[in-house]
Amino acid sequence: MKRPRIVVGIKWVPNTQAVRFDPKTGTLIREGVPSIVNPHDLDAIELALKTREKYGGEIIVVTMAPPGAEEGLRHVIGMGVDRAILVSDRVFAGSDTLATSYTLAKTIERIGRVDLVFFGQETIDSSTAHIPAQVASWLDLPYIYYVESIEKLELKENKVVVKRKLEDRYEWYEVELPVVIGVAMHSNPPRPISLTNKLRAVTEKPIEVWTNKQLGLDPRCIGLRGSPTIVSKVTWQPEIPRKRKIYQGNPKEAVKWLIKHLEEEKVLP
Amino acid sequence: MATKFDAIVVGAGPAGATAAYKLAEAGIKTLLVERGRGRGSKQVFGGRIYVTPVREVFPDVEKTAPIHRWVKREKISILHNSRILSLEYESPEKHSFTTYLTEFTSWIVDKAINAGAVYVDEVRVDSIVEEDGRITGIEAGGERIEASIVIDAEGVNRLLLEKLGLAERLSPEEVALGAKEVIKVGADKINERFGLEEDSGLAWLLVGEPTDYLPGGAFIYTNRDSVSIGVVVYLATAVKKAREEIYRLVEKLRLHPQLRQYWEDGDIIEYSAHLTIESGRRFMPRKLATSGLIVVGDAAGLLLNTGYTFRGVDYAVYSGYLAAEAAKKAFNLGDFSEETLRENYEKKLLGSFIAKDLRNHTGVEQIMHEVEFFEKYPVVAIDTARKLFELGYETPRIQEALRSSLKTHHINLLSFLYKMFKMVRKL
Repeated sequence: MKRPRIVVGIKWVPNTQAVRFDPKTGTLIREGVPSIVNPHDLDAIELALKTREKYGGEIIVVTMAPPGAEEGLRHVIGMGVDRAILVSDRVFAGSDTLATSYTLAKTIERIGRVDLVFFGQETIDSSTAHIPAQVASWLDLPYIYYVESIEKLELKENKVVVKRKLEDRYEWYEVELPVVIGVAMHSNPPRPISLTNKLRAVTEKPIEVWTNKQLGLDPRCIGLRGSPTIVSKVTWQPEIPRKRKIYQGNPKEAVKWLIKHLEEEKVLP
Repeated sequence: MATKFDAIVVGAGPAGATAAYKLAEAGIKTLLVERGRGRGSKQVFGGRIYVTPVREVFPDVEKTAPIHRWVKREKISILHNSRILSLEYESPEKHSFTTYLTEFTSWIVDKAINAGAVYVDEVRVDSIVEEDGRITGIEAGGERIEASIVIDAEGVNRLLLEKLGLAERLSPEEVALGAKEVIKVGADKINERFGLEEDSGLAWLLVGEPTDYLPGGAFIYTNRDSVSIGVVVYLATAVKKAREEIYRLVEKLRLHPQLRQYWEDGDIIEYSAHLTIESGRRFMPRKLATSGLIVVGDAAGLLLNTGYTFRGVDYAVYSGYLAAEAAKKAFNLGDFSEETLRENYEKKLLGSFIAKDLRNHTGVEQIMHEVEFFEKYPVVAIDTARKLFELGYETPRIQEALRSSLKTHHINLLSFLYKMFKMVRKL
């Protein structure tokens, strides 16, 4: 019997909760900030694992990133995926979403027969949600997003039924395979990783590293050259410095003191 | 599936990471498991590490460890009534350094990984498995991993040793609670405000106001571009006498009118709290090894509080090293019996400077429970100094100043002298 092959695209992102903004240059200060697997991608991996539990098959995780992302791939191997491919080459540096989606699409093509392609809904560091849609376009595949679950998978008839979650309703779609699916955030909380799986991830599974030697992509379509996006301006919301005023004394006086200061600062009318 | 190792180290603190490194370096297939996420996320220390024992284990410590500043100035101060009475000591020697424990431990964990140890984090070990009177591995989340030897480096909260019946449940008399903040100030500002050179640092211990006159102490350490400030109070007395939550004490320390100038307009980048051992000697388990098991670091009670400084990280590193040496011997002999491990580890540890230190300083715990030392004597000291230095018309002799201060606080001179004598002897 035919078993599904599922590709999950993930992104290795700086932990944005720890990232700060440099007001002078208008860029993110990533130095010393630990990277993590984009949390919304873990929902996609979890859905892939559930799908494999039900229908069998193989889960292949793909990411395009510098070599440091191996740690993230180890993490998802620990969750139980079968293969992990790190697409990593200096020529991919500086990619915007177009160049990235192109590179990922070509990677997926090279994997061979694929039935389902999962992505997280968006990434926490840029939140464009471009990648799944663009990958679908490059591969000329249908794209369904905000998907919560796989309701029915019929490989023989080459179709899948997915449940999509919207603000006020659910929708069910029956589509032909292969299909690109954006998994709704928080829809499939990732499972805890058992000790033996962690050990398996660290000790056994090799990470496959693909460079442009394997992919052979046109340099005009990848990296900085393949990236038409221009960030013209970034502004930020400046932090309002605290006044650091502390009142010491009895509560009655403190209330008067506080009201007076709030009025002076025009917080109170 | 790789579920069999030669050695398993539980806890990747300074003790466990060192043990794992030394084992892996000797070609022993070692698993290092850590409950926290990443490196050192559950570890807290005051702020400094004494280098000599660490250098014996890691000869490259000065060159490659993440050292922030060498402590070249020591300061002990009593704070009361807007006055500060201090003792200062300066030395050009490099005897101890400040760092972030996370960075320091990470440095050792990397060594362990590079030496071939397998490191996994976010794993809660539920128990150390004992079969037929012999430790055979660990259990986590219902899964079992076997090894010839387990090194317990679980830290001060010894849930695993308790389960094995090797340690009692924690009692408040045995532990102190520390709370700490790290405030990022900038290297230049630190140098300027504390009057420090580029790589030199300050270790500052304070009593009186900063601990709300409770038994314990407050500390300030200068890191590369930040300041660690914190308060340690003894749980047994704190529970009865504390008027405020301990985190409020740290906050008061941060906002102290005479101290806050040092970290003014800095950002709090970290807040942490941790239990610490009050008396290492009493905290030490009855035995430090059984068949297939060695206990190291905080779990073994290896922490010293002299009243004017704390030592723990260097002890931890050293005990991890001794444990690895003993384990290596056991592998050579093919003998992991209690007798052999105690002979090669416990005996070595008990004969080392660590055990000597712990035996030597048992008097401190008694002093730490004498409330006068923290409630009344700081006040008397400040009062006396005030009378000597803040002269009006009359110029008292030292003896007069002291006597009158004692009288104000209803303290008998003889009992005061006796207690001071006792303190000097014990410390």
